[in-house]
Amino acid sequence: LSSVRQRFGLFGIRATVCWLQLTLFGTSSGFGTGGTGVFGSTTTDSHNPMKDVEVTSPPDDSISCLAFSPPTMPGNFLIGGSWANDVRCWEVQDNGQTVPKAQQMHTGPVLDACWSDDGSKVFTASCDKTAKMWDLNSNQAMQIAQHDGPIKAIHWIKAPNYSCIMTGSWDKTLKFWDTRSPNPMMSLQMPERCYCADVVYPMAVVATAERGLIVYQLENQPSEFRRIDSPLKHQHRCVAIFKDKQNKPTGFALGSIEGRVAIHYINPPNPAKDNFTFKCHRSNGTNTTTPQDIYAVNAISFHPVHGTLATVGSDGRFSFWDKDARTKLKTSEQLDQPITACCFNHNGNIFAYASSYDWSKGHEYYNPQKKNYIFLRNAAEELKPRNKKW
Amino acid sequence: MPVCSFFLQGRCRYGDKCWNEHPRGGTRGGGYNDNRSSGQQQSRGGGGGFGNRVWVNPSQQKGAYIQPSSFSSHGSDDWGRGGGGSDWGRGGGGGRRDNLKSSEFSFSSQNKFSALGTSNTFDRGGRGGGSGGVSAGDEDDDKKLEIIQMDMDIWESSGQWGFSCYSSFKTPLSGFTDLSPEELRLEYYSTRASGDLQGYLNGVNQLLSQWKNRVQELKIMNPATRAALLAELNGAAPQASSVSFGSTTGSGFGSSMSSFGNKDFGAPAQARSFSFASSPGFGSSAAPSSSSSGFGNTLAAPTQPPSGFGGSSAPSSTSAASSFSFAAASTDKPAAASGFGSASGFSFSSTANAGGGFGATAGSSSAFGQTSGGFGATPAAAAGAGSAAEASDGLFSPESKLTQDELNQFKAKRFTLGQIPLKPPPANMLMV
Repeated sequence: LSSVRQRFGLFGIRATVCWLQLTLFGTSSGFGTGGTGVFGSTTTDSHNPMKDVEVTSPPDDSISCLAFSPPTMPGNFLIGGSWANDVRCWEVQDNGQTVPKAQQMHTGPVLDACWSDDGSKVFTASCDKTAKMWDLNSNQAMQIAQHDGPIKAIHWIKAPNYSCIMTGSWDKTLKFWDTRSPNPMMSLQMPERCYCADVVYPMAVVATAERGLIVYQLENQPSEFRRIDSPLKHQHRCVAIFKDKQNKPTGFALGSIEGRVAIHYINPPNPAKDNFTFKCHRSNGTNTTTPQDIYAVNAISFHPVHGTLATVGSDGRFSFWDKDARTKLKTSEQLDQPITACCFNHNGNIFAYASSYDWSKGHEYYNPQKKNYIFLRNAAEELKPRNKKW
Repeated sequence: MPVCSFFLQGRCRYGDKCWNEHPRGGTRGGGYNDNRSSGQQQSRGGGGGFGNRVWVNPSQQKGAYIQPSSFSSHGSDDWGRGGGGSDWGRGGGGGRRDNLKSSEFSFSSQNKFSALGTSNTFDRGGRGGGSGGVSAGDEDDDKKLEIIQMDMDIWESSGQWGFSCYSSFKTPLSGFTDLSPEELRLEYYSTRASGDLQGYLNGVNQLLSQWKNRVQELKIMNPATRAALLAELNGAAPQASSVSFGSTTGSGFGSSMSSFGNKDFGAPAQARSFSFASSPGFGSSAAPSSSSSGFGNTLAAPTQPPSGFGGSSAPSSTSAASSFSFAAASTDKPAAASGFGSASGFSFSSTANAGGGFGATAGSSSAFGQTSGGFGATPAAAAGAGSAAEASDGLFSPESKLTQDELNQFKAKRFTLGQIPLKPPPANMLMV
């Protein structure tokens, strides 16, 4: 195997693909038929009611994170981390076919993953308290970070005068790492465990336990910019930064376990008017007599071109929203499992979402045999913003 | 300007950008912290899950625009309400719209809110400029508490994740612990690997019953809870010396949870990692109901928090097959059992926490002796003594360490108020 890799490289010849499938994903149950369409009968299949493209060789346990390759790389490559301790990489071809490429292992469940800005490296964060840098060309991974607790969030920061990795952990610290050194460049203390984070230079937002919300500014060196009173009442779950028309980060969307997302601008002209929250991922909208079921918002992603956002929840649905027109654009049918992660590719044509159990109902609803899925959807049309009427 | 008919129906698509007039000046849903806004006339239209939009006295604002004064504290009142049907904020309180339709954001519907009939009580116009009318203070508090009660109701019935902090009016309420699904899942995976799933199950059930009890407590809002809550909301730290049950357990729970959090989440040491590994007494409590009966029916053993409380408060907490459900209607008897459940005596990990747990327990046991002021006033001292005595003994005291009076108390069918021992009973006295 290694000799073959040296000859062909990992992202080169497609002829070796099938073989790679067999060996690299040896533990997975099915290696797929090439990933064209939907498995099995599709009539009443609730695992894929949206009839989206299934990614082949999905992970064997819940998918915790998804990330597409940056525009600096040709083509689309998707990485997904899972609770089976692995991170997998697929190539997504233009015809919709997905090709498993490689995987790496941690010694604990992988909670987050991200790409470097040039697309040559993937960084993965795990419950084993380490983060690794995975060089895709050589398919080697080395540890670059160490925390005292599981690392929940990992992001690559590319500043004009420095580049580094930011890791947020349940040990209540936020650390910044130059990948060449075993010691962090900087370590910032947080009030509580890091639950989610997002980075769009020069801004970083971290949401912690106990409704903590901190914004960092990353120019020159990372420093705490502001602590924000949370606009939400319950546990923070996911956060995503959005940009303004000049492509500068200007605010973030924060999701909680209570089926609600808050849109918050950092320096709005009129905070009370510009910031708002909206309810999502709840059941029986019209019926006010029976109590609603309220689901957690598991992830939020902004479309890179349109600025509209997608939310995925424990109810097994995804929704697209236009935050400027303050309307919902679309809600999907309900999948039979919660949707745990989502992301857009670099040009916004592909929306990927993962269907797997998110532990929202505890261990009793955990079925290790149940297949986990990653679906790809064409996102070019559905996320166009609603036209403003004025 | 002509009045916008769509706005009156709650359907205006343009919101503030509309060229027609949107008549405002209705009264606003209350629960709004008065310190933030002075002399405001707030319309209920700001609610409905919209959050962050507060309507202030138009006279203070430029133009016809309603400029809310602050954003973050606003949303709380509306979240408890059933109103706000549209997905996006300011939808009317009249009902929920279909979430699945592409619904347009609508600014209006103060009319719907007034239809709820709450406008009078929410009227804040009487407040002085910034100082806040004292006379209206009680009303506000009532509204706040009402909102909290409704929030609890929704939380319980919605099936949403229960291990979450909760805050109302920018104040995090005590008695709620923030635990993410990932942390719980990691705990499960770790204990599964080590083979001690029972510890995990017990821990989860403990947390679950705690949460249920706290939610029940807030829902029912007996005077003691009410007083404690108001103290919290108005900025005072929960009073440890208060006789009220709610505050004692709240503070005990809060403090032990925070210490728990600090130790267990931050520490790299194996023993202190977040784990459900049971301390001996905890794990071995096979028949809590029988042990509690040994101490009489009014008071289950206050010094055996995990087992006794588990037995009396929620039968499900002892069985491994109990369903982990946030939405299930609570079977806990609120009054008596809630005291046990939320006394936070449980301890997930080693005896490092047992001291803290017992400290809180001692506090709650004194709450039971609340008719005698001596107990109520000295939870701190009792906690100190309790934890000091028990830290080394685990859950039970050897008979040699108990005075004759204490032994008599344990032997008696019921505790005598004013003489309830602070130390745990000897293990052999439990009828297991």
